[in-house]
Amino acid sequence: MGASPGGAVVLRGVDLEIPTGGRLALVGPSGAGKTTLLRVIAGLEPSATGRVEAGGRPLDGLPPHRRPIAMVFQEPRLLPNLDAAENVAFALRAAGVGRRERRARADALLAEVGLDGLGRRGVRGMSGGEQQRIALARALCPDPGLLLLDEPMASVDPDRREGLRRLILRLQAERRVTTLIVTHDRDEAAEMGEAIALMIEGRVVQCDTPRNLFLRPQTPAAARFFGTRNILGGEVVDGVLATEAGPVPAPGPDGPARLAIRAEGIVLDPEGPLEMTVREAVFTGSVLRVRLARGDMRLEARLPPDPSPSPGDAVRVAVAPGAVWRFPDDDAVPAPGPGVLHP
Amino acid sequence: MRTLLALAPALLVVLVLWGAGLVGAVRSSLGVSRLTGWSAADLDAYRALADDPVFWESLWFTLRITVIATALSLVVAVALAAVLRRSGVVARLLASVPVPMPHLVAAVLGVLWLGPGGIADRLLGGLPVDLVRDPAGIGIVLVYVYKEAPFLALLVLAAWGPAVAAREEAAAVLGARPLQRLRWVVWPAIRAPLLTGAAVVAAFVIGAFEVPLAIGPTSPQTLSELALSATREASLDGRATASAVLVIASVLAVSVAALAAAGLRRRHE
Repeated sequence: MGASPGGAVVLRGVDLEIPTGGRLALVGPSGAGKTTLLRVIAGLEPSATGRVEAGGRPLDGLPPHRRPIAMVFQEPRLLPNLDAAENVAFALRAAGVGRRERRARADALLAEVGLDGLGRRGVRGMSGGEQQRIALARALCPDPGLLLLDEPMASVDPDRREGLRRLILRLQAERRVTTLIVTHDRDEAAEMGEAIALMIEGRVVQCDTPRNLFLRPQTPAAARFFGTRNILGGEVVDGVLATEAGPVPAPGPDGPARLAIRAEGIVLDPEGPLEMTVREAVFTGSVLRVRLARGDMRLEARLPPDPSPSPGDAVRVAVAPGAVWRFPDDDAVPAPGPGVLHP
Repeated sequence: MRTLLALAPALLVVLVLWGAGLVGAVRSSLGVSRLTGWSAADLDAYRALADDPVFWESLWFTLRITVIATALSLVVAVALAAVLRRSGVVARLLASVPVPMPHLVAAVLGVLWLGPGGIADRLLGGLPVDLVRDPAGIGIVLVYVYKEAPFLALLVLAAWGPAVAAREEAAAVLGARPLQRLRWVVWPAIRAPLLTGAAVVAAFVIGAFEVPLAIGPTSPQTLSELALSATREASLDGRATASAVLVIASVLAVSVAALAAAGLRRRHE
């Protein structure tokens, strides 16, 4: 699928499939095109190329109100002139369902989202978390074939997000509604998605299990997004990539390669093969984030809080073999360099 | 109480200017003057009006024009706002041109366009109905719609902003058809400014005489035209009659405002 809302190309060749009843998290940096993709699926934006199908049924050309899709937006978008129950039952009202049945369904759904007994209350005075729960209940009310969640935690206080996350997971599991959830938070994506699609600059660069995306991203861009900033390029000889700081063990055959090293796999070791200087050591609450340098080469390590090295200290560093992996697109590697890092 | 205090300066100006004028009109309509004092007050002018079929014809004509012009302006304003909210600045500016235009200028333009031998007549090779000086007042209504619909559309646009558009999208994804979205999402948001604007338009149409004079029929006359004609009579009775007509027009205008206020207070679903 491709889309160019407002003339700018936002989606480029996106191809995604969610199994019925499945839960896919769409993650990526701001401006990657995640929300645009959701809007195209919902029919709120036209697609320039490609097609959207739900349960084998093509949806292209159908206006939003005729698609079997419900959506929860970043902000609740409730109708301030209606009470909570009437907001929840809005889809039923549009479908011509009678007031009594609407109320009964809405009250049951409000109970499911933890707002039992609040059906007659106006929505204006409710907290952001309560309003988003109502928006979630409203989206589930018509039993949609596909539920789109566009960063639903964005307008909720940080201490309420965990509760809303658990609620979404529980309801999705109970109802087995096919769900596509957008977030820019990789940890949230890992928690919310059975699979994760990483979108960067309008393309899905990798669609995989959370574990694989965190531990074995397939491209440097994916690695960077999932927190691995240690990316090296160069020539592997005898299973080793020579760098300015020293040799780094490299899996796979000899030849040009791009490697990534997980920050957790780098340790201070007096016998380590890499000689580097501490540039920065910051305690981040549970670990020490240490930036190391040697010439043009930079590495980031996450170390136990103690002992804490100081900036300027010369240290020796070892890399655990399991912490190094090789990107599969070796053919794309440019001329081998002397182990230059691309942080 | 705090709201009333905050509004006091504006209310004071309105009450002094409008209230003093109204008291003067009531005095005059009752035949009270400096020479006679209040002891000579009577309802003769009102009785004379009640017995005059011309007055009733004028009242009915005024009410009909007011209701039709206001209702049409409302419908056109909502449709215009629906188009303009997706349009650029140039389109909005062009649509706003009639707003600052004096009513008399709009009426003269109406005559130039719609009159016998006018621009529309020449372009279309003849109009199917007379729109200038027509007894039904169609020309008057058209000029008012041309003038007031953009004014109301601007009020609507101010309320029909991104927040309402966002709620419309949410409603669309929930299965609401366009008319249902207009009724359940847009209308509650634009209702207050639209009703307020409609009250202003209706009150203006009741009281204004430029447009009916320029493009309206000689008979029937609107209430304002009737009052104007009465002031030209040489007798003192003419002045009392004119004042009585203006008092009745004022009561109508205030009634319209009260209706709008009552409509705004009613909870809408």
